Amino acid sequence: MSRFFRSVSDSESDSESSDNESFISDEELSSDEGEQSDEEQENQEEQPKKSRFLKGAETDSDEESDEEFGRKRQVKSALDKRLDEMNSSIKAIENGQKNNDWNLISTEFDKLTASVNKATSGFDAIPIPKFYIKTIVEIENMLQEAPKEKGGNKKKGGAAAKGLNNTKQKMRKITKQYEQLIAEYKKDPEAFMVEKEEKPEIPTPKKADTQKGAVGTATVDESELDGFTSVGKGGKTVVPITADNIFVKLREVMESRGKKNTDRDEQIGTLEKLIEAADTPFQKILVLLALIPSRFDTNLSMAEHMQTDVWKKVEAEVSLLLSIVEKEQQFVIREDADELDHDDKDIVPEKGQVINIRGSIISLVERLDDEFTKSLQSIDPHTTDYIDRLRDEPTLYAVLVRAQSYIEKHNMLENLPRIIIRRLDHLYYKPEQVIQSTETMAKSMLPDYITSNVITAEEPSQLIHQLCTYLYKQSASVLRTRAMLCHIYHYALHRHFHTARDMLLMSHLQDSIHQADISTQILYNRTVVQIGLCAFRDGLIKEAHACLQEIQGSGRVKELLAQGVQAQRYGQQTSPELEQLERQRQLPFHMHINLELLECVFLTCSMLLEIPAQAQAGPNNKRTISRPFRRLLDYNERQAFAGPPENTRDHIMSAAKALASGEWERARDYILAIKIWNLMPETQAIKDMLVSKIQEEGLRTYLFTYASYYSTLGLAQLATMFDLPVARVSAIVSKLIWNEELSASLDQVSQSVVLHRVEPSRLQVLSLQFAEKAANLVDQNERLLTTGRDRQ
Amino acid sequence: MAAEYDLTKDMIPFLDRHLVFPLLEFLEVKELYAVDDLLQAKYALFRNSNMADFILDLHKKINNTDETPKEIADKRQQVLAKMEQLQAQVQKVMEVLEKPEVISVLRQDKVQNLQTLKENYNFTEETIDILYEFGQFEFDCGSYGGAADMLYHFRVLSTNEERCLSATWGKMAAEILTGNWDVALEELQKLRETIDHKSGVAPLQQLQQRTWLIHWSLFIIFNHPKGRDSIIDMFFAPQYINTIQTSCPWVLRYLAAAVVTSKRRKAQMKELVKIIEQEAYEYRDPVTEFVEALFVRFDFDDAQKKLKECEKVLANDFFLNAIQEDFMESARQFISETYCRIHQKINIKDMTQTLNLNQEEGEKWIVNLIRDTRVDAKIDFEENTVIMNTPVTSVYQQVIERTKGLSFRSQVLSSAIKRRETQAASKETTA
Repeated sequence: MSRFFRSVSDSESDSESSDNESFISDEELSSDEGEQSDEEQENQEEQPKKSRFLKGAETDSDEESDEEFGRKRQVKSALDKRLDEMNSSIKAIENGQKNNDWNLISTEFDKLTASVNKATSGFDAIPIPKFYIKTIVEIENMLQEAPKEKGGNKKKGGAAAKGLNNTKQKMRKITKQYEQLIAEYKKDPEAFMVEKEEKPEIPTPKKADTQKGAVGTATVDESELDGFTSVGKGGKTVVPITADNIFVKLREVMESRGKKNTDRDEQIGTLEKLIEAADTPFQKILVLLALIPSRFDTNLSMAEHMQTDVWKKVEAEVSLLLSIVEKEQQFVIREDADELDHDDKDIVPEKGQVINIRGSIISLVERLDDEFTKSLQSIDPHTTDYIDRLRDEPTLYAVLVRAQSYIEKHNMLENLPRIIIRRLDHLYYKPEQVIQSTETMAKSMLPDYITSNVITAEEPSQLIHQLCTYLYKQSASVLRTRAMLCHIYHYALHRHFHTARDMLLMSHLQDSIHQADISTQILYNRTVVQIGLCAFRDGLIKEAHACLQEIQGSGRVKELLAQGVQAQRYGQQTSPELEQLERQRQLPFHMHINLELLECVFLTCSMLLEIPAQAQAGPNNKRTISRPFRRLLDYNERQAFAGPPENTRDHIMSAAKALASGEWERARDYILAIKIWNLMPETQAIKDMLVSKIQEEGLRTYLFTYASYYSTLGLAQLATMFDLPVARVSAIVSKLIWNEELSASLDQVSQSVVLHRVEPSRLQVLSLQFAEKAANLVDQNERLLTTGRDRQ
Repeated sequence: MAAEYDLTKDMIPFLDRHLVFPLLEFLEVKELYAVDDLLQAKYALFRNSNMADFILDLHKKINNTDETPKEIADKRQQVLAKMEQLQAQVQKVMEVLEKPEVISVLRQDKVQNLQTLKENYNFTEETIDILYEFGQFEFDCGSYGGAADMLYHFRVLSTNEERCLSATWGKMAAEILTGNWDVALEELQKLRETIDHKSGVAPLQQLQQRTWLIHWSLFIIFNHPKGRDSIIDMFFAPQYINTIQTSCPWVLRYLAAAVVTSKRRKAQMKELVKIIEQEAYEYRDPVTEFVEALFVRFDFDDAQKKLKECEKVLANDFFLNAIQEDFMESARQFISETYCRIHQKINIKDMTQTLNLNQEEGEKWIVNLIRDTRVDAKIDFEENTVIMNTPVTSVYQQVIERTKGLSFRSQVLSSAIKRRETQAASKETTA
């Protein structure tokens, strides 16, 4: 009945083997359920060959061997079965036509064509069934109408459009093949149908029904009823892979890719064998181009990451692919190349001839990079696993460099920025030494001939500069923005505060950043924070505070920097999808900016600004420079018993209180006791800077707070109190006097400060307040008027 | 040391070839650089201009020969030929323009003027453009007066905005070189207006034009009697401050000098201090450092030191050379004023030291200061001290100051609201 009968009896010739295989690949689609009885049939025939089946099939056959005695087999001719199949496909196509489901049409038509091909060739060939021609013509007509309803199609999205395109391409091929018949049909459809109707009587799908009943599952796919499905799993291994049939095998795998019920692991296994067998560069390239995406396919969910060992394999394969195309310069992998039609034969390019193979190096590399990031996101950063994983980064970086050189060499300029931004993403947040070592490691991993014309710099900051300036020249604004931010981040990290700030201001990014995509916004936030930290390191307290306030003051630092999911506040509900998205945006741990350090810097800056300002304005002022700091301080002051400080925050609060009461030494001790300063580079310099700031601000606070209790103050005494040189004290006091912050003057002869403060009477205070309030009112009115104008 | 603070190198890219010439001449006099280098520079500067005779002179000086190189001779011939040709053409145009009946016909409206000229005197756009070309040519030959004249006529007639703009640039340069400071100042204001109000210009181009304008205006600032005040206003306008900060921080020296010598001070001084503080990482020289020492660090000794350095820098600066005396005087006043405001009791001896004067001079100086009512102070001869009467602003004064503008501002507000109401009402009725 089936081919297996023949293969056993006729001892199939070699020439037919290829036919056999292509047919196996079709059956792979079908599910196990619907084919049980078919399997039984084969199991009988194939019992001796059982060992070649994969495990799944093996267990099945054991069960079934018991059953099989009790069952009576129904025999049906191969021809009938095929016709059954075709009929069901046609029905499905008609259904598809009604629903405009091009995906269904596409797959069903594939099946139909395959079975027609089978039926019309070989020993028991039948003439081309006329309903096949009819279907072709119908689909063709429909295709012509399709573009008109494009509007509707668009809504259905990519899948439908893809199906449509696929069908179109196939139709073009097939109509050529059956040109004559189609013409005949078109001339007189009815006559054509009648003429040939008589011979191939379509048998009723009797068996199909009974089988369905027996198994108890109504499956959609009628092709599953084909008698040969179960060979699928084991079948591959049956035929030994040689260099000659690589392409055939490869095509099979390619055809089944992405279809339902394809066993991906098995495909990968096949491809791995193929790559071993492949010996010409062309074969290798093609197999690799199939193998790498299939590896990526094994991991479907967006959330999970690829297994590390698989990732490493992929990485090795990408490198292999790159090394092949680097050596065999006659093969070029391009995205815009036409599908190469090589008739399953190897291509050996002639001298000087360049063969374009369709494929995209860049997307493979990008995917590799994405998978790496994903794995870092999900590995617990406090384990050694994370560090082990991180060790792969230089390898990945090397692949990026290599791909960049390849893309550059073949002048695929539209892709170059993409790879360069990836490279930049791996470097920008690193200190120079780390960049240097990454570069050298990558270089040591790559062969010498890998060079680049675009990026020539060796020295780390030069390198960043070149990468960024290349991206500035691109037209895509996203790339330019990101490059700019990375560049600024790099400057800020290396303590070039003014350069970084000027670049940020000149880019005018702050005006438009809220319109950017979220990952760019995150990068922007990171950059601003880094500039703030940089300002702090340079001792520019005010600037540092201004930069950090925006992020730290929001209370959503984690979220804004993508360094962890913020705990949900009461009343805020987020959907799981949103959470999922947020988790995907998280930065890997090694890129994090230390949040505790950030808070510490922010609060210290706030303290240095807020305490003197409070002292100056008196106890009842409402104006605050840093609200979060004020809140913490108030909370701290409300506590009945204040224990010794434990965490960073406590330390700063205690220091603030000490500073407010003029005890700068205690404030200094508290601040210096904070351990996290050690995370900053050049710790000692920063501590020194902090001490001198505390001294100065302490002096200012002292003067503001206690000025009213003195009529004169000796400069020398102040200098010893705050451990500052006299000149410095007099400079600070002079500044206060000049800016009219302190009503006093210096007596040069006696080296003292003479204070003129006169306590105003109650009425005077009130009238001053009143005047201020009136001025405020007018200010606000004016503002209201101008904003009102804007609105109009 | 003097060469270290020389800004000529920085400024040359933003100046016209002919405007650079006085700078080079000045450097030659000051002997900061080797004479030969300067000659070379001059030669390179004018090699492409039309001043053939001058080039020839330079060439001879450099090479110490009397020969006339062929190319220069050729050039001379060409220039002369072109001059004749252009002159002939211009002659015709000018004849028409100088007729009294034509002058009486001409009005404000350029388009109409052109129309009349076209109808009655056979004028075309090209005839007017000849004026422009000749003006440019004359300027290039070094005949600035004639150039200014031509460009003036051109600007009155032409409707081509772009050319008018460059004619204005040309005219300003010509006026600067002839020394007509009044006219140059006018041109400067005109240019500023055009640059600031022209919409749709790329920001980069605007920045460039402003940079040029700032540099060119330096000539006027320090030569026109009123130049300093008006220029301070211009430089402190946000656009120009930004320009200075982004493309030419060295101009801060001139701004600082202008502010120090200007009579209206304090408000601007505060602004200046802010900017100098901000830009300290990018540009510093003794002048800005002086301001910084005095008003940021209140280090009077250091300010004194810097002032001495300033003296040298100013002497070697083309623009500031003339106001050196003035600057030193004003700077001293600044120091003493600040000092007096901060102190209550000052030892005269120390004071005179700080001011870099001897005892007797210092005393005189303080007396003068008191007489000019700059400070309210008395000298205690017995103790040899000056005692300041620090004015304490009374609470009443404070209240008055705070509420000073309020009623006026409220009036403005209410009238604005009224106006808007009537506007809205009229809109409603029309709608």
